[in-house]
Amino acid sequence: MRFRNLLFSFICILLVILLAVSFGPIKLSFIEIVKTFFNLPGQLTGPDRTVLLDIRLPRVLLAVVVGSALSASGAVYQTIFRNPLADPYLLGAAAGAGLGATIAITNSAISVALPIFAFAGAVIAVLASFFISGKFFAEPSTLLLSGIAIGSFATAVQTYLQQRHSASLRPVYSWILGELTAADWSTVRWSAIYISISLATLFFIRKKLDALLLSDDEAFSLGLNPNKLRLVALGAATLATATAVSASGLIGFVGIVIPHLVRGVMRKISNENLPIIAIAGAGFLVLADLGARSLLAPSELPIGVLTAFIGAPFFLFILRKKRVSQR
Amino acid sequence: MIELRDISVAIGDKQILADISLQLGNGNWISLVGPNGAGKTTLIKVLLGVIPYGGSAQEDSVEIYRNHNRNVAYIPQNPQIPNGMRVYEYVGLGTRKFDSWSRESKESAHLISETLKDLGLWALRDQMLNEISGGELQRAHLARILVQGANLVLLDEPTSALDLHHQIAVLNKLESLKQRGVTIVSTMHDLTLAAMFADQIAVMSGGKLLKFGAASAMAHSPDLKAAFNNQISVYTLDSGNPVILPQRDI
Repeated sequence: MRFRNLLFSFICILLVILLAVSFGPIKLSFIEIVKTFFNLPGQLTGPDRTVLLDIRLPRVLLAVVVGSALSASGAVYQTIFRNPLADPYLLGAAAGAGLGATIAITNSAISVALPIFAFAGAVIAVLASFFISGKFFAEPSTLLLSGIAIGSFATAVQTYLQQRHSASLRPVYSWILGELTAADWSTVRWSAIYISISLATLFFIRKKLDALLLSDDEAFSLGLNPNKLRLVALGAATLATATAVSASGLIGFVGIVIPHLVRGVMRKISNENLPIIAIAGAGFLVLADLGARSLLAPSELPIGVLTAFIGAPFFLFILRKKRVSQR
Repeated sequence: MIELRDISVAIGDKQILADISLQLGNGNWISLVGPNGAGKTTLIKVLLGVIPYGGSAQEDSVEIYRNHNRNVAYIPQNPQIPNGMRVYEYVGLGTRKFDSWSRESKESAHLISETLKDLGLWALRDQMLNEISGGELQRAHLARILVQGANLVLLDEPTSALDLHHQIAVLNKLESLKQRGVTIVSTMHDLTLAAMFADQIAVMSGGKLLKFGAASAMAHSPDLKAAFNNQISVYTLDSGNPVILPQRDI
């Protein structure tokens, strides 16, 4: 990874953030926004200032945090499972979080604790897949299969709960489609803390992760302990995913589309590019959110609809390309 | 110097290796031969240090199993091909150990380029591994080994996907490693090539070591014939080199 590329993507994300906070029902000028950020004379005042600092900025920053978490953990999952179609929700994180959220929504007494329940659901589902697979260390595909089983189980329980509490269908449904509307500073703060820890860990080991694309014995011959490396990477990626899911619901396809896009542009599949993948994911989600709130303004599209709308055809494209290259 | 003493490996109730004792000197090429299921690959994995064994296996008086400080290059019989990885990146993985997995140093970049040119892979450096031919892929594996700078190279069937011309080219390249004091341990199905390139041959069958000795002597050893159920014939060329061929049942 060249420093030049990192700098370029960093500048891009700053511009995207600037664009996103300025755009909306009330247009804010770039210059005034920058002045407000740097506390210079001529900054925004009154309602405009509130719109910028209390409504748009937390929402955009949440998109940055969640987007970087999802795309970086997607890239890591693809490496761990040696599977280009792996995504961060593969091990039941999505279904587990969905079940946790449904439990919270259907019990009004605990509905304020929705993020905690979603987080716990995601972590429990991944841990369950992990322990049930048992021989995970010998064969990552066993873990993948147990993740699928846990996912189906959690989805079944979730559907049952929804049937029993049909009044909750709508909020559960809108949570599943993903939303950044509820973003506030406290959400941004706690999700940024967990996700920063995860990303820092992943960035630190990113070059070593490439060895996991080889067989375990070959990785060992290159001086690494593949089991330990996989465990650390899986733990960090899962923490990031669970945090992202509990902060913003299920936003699909960012974890697949962005890593492949960056790898294609950089002409390298190495995880060396992980920071760029994270920044690109952040930029993509900020733009997707901008689309979600402006395309049908004043009403909003769920962001998950927009990312899946772009993501699903792309997913099919990769699938097709993969089949062609294996022929 | 690698010393194996009474090595045995069992998986569940199945005994894979039994009582293997061997001494492998530095800068030698040792070829493991024997029918399928003889335990050759398992012995390679013992030398790599990834499977638990009974007995003792020491390299320079240090027990091998899970010693992370050794520099051993290894290519399995069917290596995992990272989907979408390019030739240059793949070969570069070999240098990562002495780059300590941080930034690619100038020296390793130079070494990778030189090795790619040397093996005729330079023009393919930006191709994806799943786009190149089987022979080119095998040369990419070889390039990865060469840049790793290991002092022990373990190869499971290094020439199985190559045409005759490239078989010799790859084996010659490996032979040149010996001059750097590198020890090579390979399994080989082609007994003629094994006798031609290896310094020593270990004949294995049913998890046991039948015979171990100089390659020239081993070609005519009755143990080699016994390992293959007496279904091979050994001819000697005018040059003195043996040719070992399978027999067809009459």
